[in-house]
Amino acid sequence: MTATPAAASPPAATRNVKPLQIEDISVRFGGILALDSVSFTVAPGTIHALIGPNGAGKSTCFNAITRIYPLASGRILLGDNDLASVPGHRIASLGVGRAFQNLALVDSATVIDNVMLGRYSLTKGGFLSYAVRAPWTMKSERRHADRAAEICDFLGVGQHLHRPAGMLSYGDQKRVDIARALAVEPTILLLDEPAAGMNASETAEMSELIRDIRDELGISILLVEHDMGLVMGIADRVTVLDFGRRLADDVPAAVQKDPEVIRAYLGSDDDERQETP
Amino acid sequence: MSTFLQVIVNGLGQGAVFALLALGFVIIYKATETINFAHGSLVLIGGYVAFAVKPHLGWLVAALVGVLVAAIAGLLIERVLLAHSRNASPDSLAILTIGVDVIILTEVTRRLGTAAAPFLGDPYDNKAMQLLGLTVSRTYVVALVVAAILIGLFFLAFRYTSWGLEMRAQSENREASALMGIRSWRVTASAWAVGGALAGIAVLFLATNDIGGGSGLLSSHTVAFAAFPAAIIGGLTSPGGSVVGGLVVGLANAIAAQYVSLDFANVAVYLVMLVVLLARPAGLFGKVEQLRV
Amino acid sequence: MSETVAAPITARPAGARKTLLLKTIGALALGVVVFLLPLYLSSQYLLVLMWVFTGAVGAMGLTMLIGQAGQLSLAHSFFVLVGGVSYAVYASPGDKDTIGFGLPTLLALVLAVVTTGLVGALFAPISGRLRGIYLGVASLSLVFLGFWLANQLPSIAGSASSGRYAPSLKLPGFDFGEQNPSLYVLNVEIGSAERSFWLFAALTALAYVAGRGALSGRVGRGWRAVRDNEAMATVMGVSVVRQKATAFAVSSAYAGLAGVMVVWWYSGLMKPDEAVDFGTYGTTVAISYLAMCVIGGLGSLGGSILGAAIVFGLPQLLPLLNGSTSAGSLSGTAFTPVVITNLIFGALIVLIIMFEPRGFAGLGQRIVRLVRR
Repeated sequence: MTATPAAASPPAATRNVKPLQIEDISVRFGGILALDSVSFTVAPGTIHALIGPNGAGKSTCFNAITRIYPLASGRILLGDNDLASVPGHRIASLGVGRAFQNLALVDSATVIDNVMLGRYSLTKGGFLSYAVRAPWTMKSERRHADRAAEICDFLGVGQHLHRPAGMLSYGDQKRVDIARALAVEPTILLLDEPAAGMNASETAEMSELIRDIRDELGISILLVEHDMGLVMGIADRVTVLDFGRRLADDVPAAVQKDPEVIRAYLGSDDDERQETP
Repeated sequence: MSTFLQVIVNGLGQGAVFALLALGFVIIYKATETINFAHGSLVLIGGYVAFAVKPHLGWLVAALVGVLVAAIAGLLIERVLLAHSRNASPDSLAILTIGVDVIILTEVTRRLGTAAAPFLGDPYDNKAMQLLGLTVSRTYVVALVVAAILIGLFFLAFRYTSWGLEMRAQSENREASALMGIRSWRVTASAWAVGGALAGIAVLFLATNDIGGGSGLLSSHTVAFAAFPAAIIGGLTSPGGSVVGGLVVGLANAIAAQYVSLDFANVAVYLVMLVVLLARPAGLFGKVEQLRV
Repeated sequence: MSETVAAPITARPAGARKTLLLKTIGALALGVVVFLLPLYLSSQYLLVLMWVFTGAVGAMGLTMLIGQAGQLSLAHSFFVLVGGVSYAVYASPGDKDTIGFGLPTLLALVLAVVTTGLVGALFAPISGRLRGIYLGVASLSLVFLGFWLANQLPSIAGSASSGRYAPSLKLPGFDFGEQNPSLYVLNVEIGSAERSFWLFAALTALAYVAGRGALSGRVGRGWRAVRDNEAMATVMGVSVVRQKATAFAVSSAYAGLAGVMVVWWYSGLMKPDEAVDFGTYGTTVAISYLAMCVIGGLGSLGGSILGAAIVFGLPQLLPLLNGSTSAGSLSGTAFTPVVITNLIFGALIVLIIMFEPRGFAGLGQRIVRLVRR
């Protein structure tokens, strides 16, 4: 039943994983500067965490990278491509996959239908070719569906393919969301609070999964996460934001000792403060 | 020149009636986030009841009864139907009001049958008067004065009474105001009642020869349609905008009718709306929704 | 894809083959029944069913737009008008009063559908910028615009008093408007009513099958994503503006086909309305189409056939069952078939939104689930 994940996905070498360079990006809402000249680089094949207190600009940063919010200034380079200079719907085809904090799944559609949405940029065909079920369109549809199913197996939701996504448990919906992001065949995967709302054992499973994704697919992962245990356990590098500015950018051990970071989190029980927004 | 001034007075008079309708529409939208497609039916039901009791009670009492019935009809739509469809999205509720509209429109039209066209403007309809050297229809002037008073009263209430405060709080943030103990059903229900009452007043001017044309009450449902573009032009979330929208619609209608053709007047209203929406997708004074992820 | 591939084909549900077989048998059986209907029903009942088919085709377009792509439109009757007028212009030869190209009717049909789709796409600058109710009211303006234009341009749309005529469909060797038929099936003369019925049924089936194909594929996924979350859709690679325009174009094309069917149903008469709120292409009809979609369940193609049966079928069927000859007995305050139907579908809309927002399609699913349990 299980195709091994390694066989199911193209080996890391065939995916040309490039660094993601965030260069001096600023985002402005009215008079408020939500992101103020933030820079950092996600090195190829690493897990890079973006942390900071509430309102620090983490989600804004994600939304800027995925072009949901317009940039006031700065560049977002994935290899040679400036993500800020292409239309928002083109970044998926440049290799950016994103999972959402609040599970932006189409609840009424099946799991496989949701994950197939990730193949949107990789497939062709408009209303007419699907309406007449053109043989080449159907053939490509089947091929991509099989690949989507493999990805679901890899994420452990392969047994739910034909159930409506909205009927799955919260944890499984999270996995479907990540499966959809991976269906884009990204070179960089953005995960927005993958462990939010999970208990300790689920969180441990999730960090295992994130590491598996990096190791099996060889892609870079940028994640926003409040669970410090998870972040410090799996991240290769951590960028800390506070009030829209970059506070620190280093390996986890160094960040944990950084006095500025400690001050930003007010030294104490920062996890609790984070979990009650 | 005097023709132009006459057109302006006519436009403002009509616009004042549309402003009453659009204002009610916006109040309802602010309180429930629901577009009330049955607004034309509130007009119709108030007008029908007023018409039915007029021979027995006289014009003034009949008019009051009509306004009251329209207010109660609005209240009932909210309390009986909307309040019991909690799981439906605002767009679904808007479609529900279309269903209500179909029922009321069908039933009132059936009751009116093919009898002579009913009119409601006894004290002012078909009576010309002199104003600053112009000959204008009295309906327009009365409508303008009545609307100005009512709209003024509304904004005073909206600004200075606790009802107005609750209303504003609720439309700012439904969840927060629920937490602060503002009983949201009271605000919602009263919004529908006020919207209904304003529709009941508007029909007293719509079901006339001067504004509604030859078929009186029968055409008031269609004429009241112009309240939608009026509210949209102003921006659905802005009571002040709805008044501006109403006047814009009234003027566009009157100017197009005078200088292009009567047939074009209806279209002109919608063309103005399209132009406004192209420039400002949330209307002139509407709040732009931030795209949420 | 051959069966010897080692990897499990997990993308298709177990028992898919059996389901497919059952579906094929069901479709064939339905086809036979529809084929035989004209042999047993009188032409007035056929006309009722044809009117239902017409409504169903239009409603399928609207239900895709609203239920799948999440865009509210109250302009459907306008696009029905555009379809009818386009067909009349393309297909009829024209005379001193009217413009006409006299093209072959099949070509004219295709062109009319394409034209209507393009007109729908032209609405993109507006539909792409507006959401929800703003779009609904903005689209309503098209109905008013269409009413006015049609009355201004009698050489194109026909005059509002007498209209213009368009020919029925003629395929090589088969004239759907045949007046002197020489074709018999089971001793029943296959005249224009029977032929048109088959044509309408076939077009409805075609519209359904095409819609199903598109909705279950990439296009439908893009639409659903746009409907549920535009930001998410963009991140997944869907161009929101383009898919909104596509949805509007497809929905309009369906309305265009329905428009041609309306003209055929009126024996080729294309006549603009005399009032914007009552008639064949006015605001009331726009709302009727919306009602069909809501009653059937927003987004459900099969449901729109049921919706059409109620909203378009009842007012035609009731007078036949009553025995009264026509809907002409509109005197006074009688409960005419139109009044009864309007009250029924108004109440249905209210009840459905209150208790079963997925319409009859949702009701069907519930029943299926009960039976399976």
